[in-house]
Amino acid sequence: MNWLKAFNPSDIAGGMKLTGKRFRQVLFTANRRKVPMHFVAEYPEVKVKLAPRYRGRLTMIKDEQGEIKCVCCLACEKICPTQVITIIKGKKEGRKMPFPTRYDFEMERCIFCEFCVESCGFDSIILNHQFELATYNREDFSLGMEGSENMFENSAVGKFSVAE
Amino acid sequence: MPMTLTQTVVMALIQIVVLLAVIMAVVPIITFAERKVIGYVQVRLGATRIAGGHVGITGPINRAMWALGRVPVFSILRGLPIFMADGLKLLTKEDVIPEKADKLVFILAPAICMVPAFAVFAAITFFPGAEGLFTFPASFPIVGGLKFMGFLTDINVGLLYILGVASVGVYGIVLGGWASNSKYPLLGGLRSAAQIVSYEVPLSMSLLVPVLLVGSLSFRELSVKLATEMPLVAAVPLFLGFFFYLTCGFAETNRVPFDLAEAETELVSGFHTEYTGMKMGFFFLAEYANMIVVSAIAAAFFLGGHYLLPFGLQSQLIHALGAGHALNQPSILFFVGKVGFLLFVFLWIRATLPRYRYDQLMHVGWKFLIPVTLVNLFIAAAIKFVWM
Amino acid sequence: MENLLISLAQNLFPIFGLLAVGGAALMVASRQAVHSVLGFLFAMLCVAGCFLTLEAEFLGIAQLLVYAGGIVVLFLFVVMLVELTKYKEKDIFQKQTKVALLAVAGGLLVVGGALRNALFGPAAKEALTLRPEITNGAVLGNAQAVSRGLFADFLLPFEILSIILLVALVGAVVLAKTERV
Repeated sequence: MNWLKAFNPSDIAGGMKLTGKRFRQVLFTANRRKVPMHFVAEYPEVKVKLAPRYRGRLTMIKDEQGEIKCVCCLACEKICPTQVITIIKGKKEGRKMPFPTRYDFEMERCIFCEFCVESCGFDSIILNHQFELATYNREDFSLGMEGSENMFENSAVGKFSVAE
Repeated sequence: MPMTLTQTVVMALIQIVVLLAVIMAVVPIITFAERKVIGYVQVRLGATRIAGGHVGITGPINRAMWALGRVPVFSILRGLPIFMADGLKLLTKEDVIPEKADKLVFILAPAICMVPAFAVFAAITFFPGAEGLFTFPASFPIVGGLKFMGFLTDINVGLLYILGVASVGVYGIVLGGWASNSKYPLLGGLRSAAQIVSYEVPLSMSLLVPVLLVGSLSFRELSVKLATEMPLVAAVPLFLGFFFYLTCGFAETNRVPFDLAEAETELVSGFHTEYTGMKMGFFFLAEYANMIVVSAIAAAFFLGGHYLLPFGLQSQLIHALGAGHALNQPSILFFVGKVGFLLFVFLWIRATLPRYRYDQLMHVGWKFLIPVTLVNLFIAAAIKFVWM
Repeated sequence: MENLLISLAQNLFPIFGLLAVGGAALMVASRQAVHSVLGFLFAMLCVAGCFLTLEAEFLGIAQLLVYAGGIVVLFLFVVMLVELTKYKEKDIFQKQTKVALLAVAGGLLVVGGALRNALFGPAAKEALTLRPEITNGAVLGNAQAVSRGLFADFLLPFEILSIILLVALVGAVVLAKTERV
């Protein structure tokens, strides 16, 4: 009589109670609540609110003067398991610390492990909350910045973003 | 009023047209409701993309609500036109007939499946009253002055008619599976045939309880007397029988959790794998029409039909309040509400229970439902013998 | 209009009868076994229609329920799985015309004789007369009349028949059952 266990009425009733509760919650609260009961977002119109620890694309952070905080300690480059970060050390006038003349980030190989962010001693990079990472060309994945004058602007291929 | 044969035929044709129109309107709405109900149960929103976007009448409201970070109002109705889109899609798709298929049977199978599903409605009583739903004004050409009854016919073997005609519907599934000349449809068809033939026995047995208690086979008489002329103890076999009947009804209509005929994980899509376009639409129409029939029978026989209280408890209310009381009047709204609730239960169960294994299905059919419905029948017979 | 409908209604029995014969002919003539079953199903449905036109609703629906709903499904079940394309089976099932003709002729003789006796024999009057006393004069429906016949007037033959069916059932189970190791 083992097969009869699958038809236990109290189990079925318990399941139906749960699903009925969910149905009721979504049906009566979908319109009214600021934080809806349902888990889905209506994507193109409403972007989902991500958890703080969500790991999106690599981003460099500027300090109060609008200078990039990176000091080229190469900790991120060394710890990166897939070796997607390449930094070329440089100098900038009026700044004591080293300055990256080139910072390359090959996103197509990035595994978003956040080791680079953890290893950074100056809090100069983060993984932001951008999740729409798809592009039409493979080149668009090789992000980065180069040049000494316009290093705060995007590179030719780059969509490398600098957080404000 | 005696009617001439012409009047009878014209009247029946009018009723058939109205009935078909109602079914054809209700079936797509059930498919829409299915998307919505299952979505809500799974804490999703279901279909929202049609009449729920940036354009149209609701467009500005939707955009404003989105800007506020909220789900737009009318969220229940958003995506409603999807039922028309479904139908249009099925109608305009290419109709593929496999080269090695048996063409005659392949074309015949959806029709065999659909015709009984719709023919069954002829014996269902939607409103039992002799006064009918409304009266045609005298100026009407042929049927002027005649009443539009709430039922198509009231034959004295109505229940048997329903069971008999519905049992023909299985040929559509079996033949469709065979004619596709492909292994998964054949397996689906065989499974379905075995399942439906097995579950017809407990289904009929659970329906024998009302028949025994009333002593008639006419749908109208059954539905009226089951609500109004039952002793209190009769609620026991009716209550049990309701659940047995509903279980068998799920198996008969090939719905989840007994949809082994179209088990996606094992059989691709079961018996209608090779079917495209409106032929598959016919199978779907038949399935949903069968759902309505099962719900209507359960509502009429077990849930009190056109009266308020289920399981024959209405007769106690009649004893308490008198037959003239407002709560004791039959209404088509009660019936429609009960059928709607049972249809919702179909969707609810589908969203809750996983599919059973084939051996579990057969075991529960033969080793559990048949003995238990027999015992239930025995209880009903004892009640009939002692209390009535 | 009215007359046309009335004449149509009066001729429904021959229409259904001819359709049933057509279905039976399809069953015999078809080379494809499943088509034969379809023809048989059609004939059964038409016979049910014949019963309905004779105002024997219960019999008609029982015909539908038992034959169309139960027995033909099982036929179909078996036939679907049997492939009649191999030579040996063709030899068995489709090349017995002479024997079949003989058997049919014999059967026709027996049935014809029985019919002749029933229609024109000495007991014809008894067999062809409806007996209202079976229902005790009460105006009852079809189902009641049939059940009175089965469970009151002809109870013993009915029960014996059901025991025969039960014996067949048990025999089938015994034959089909394999030895459990």
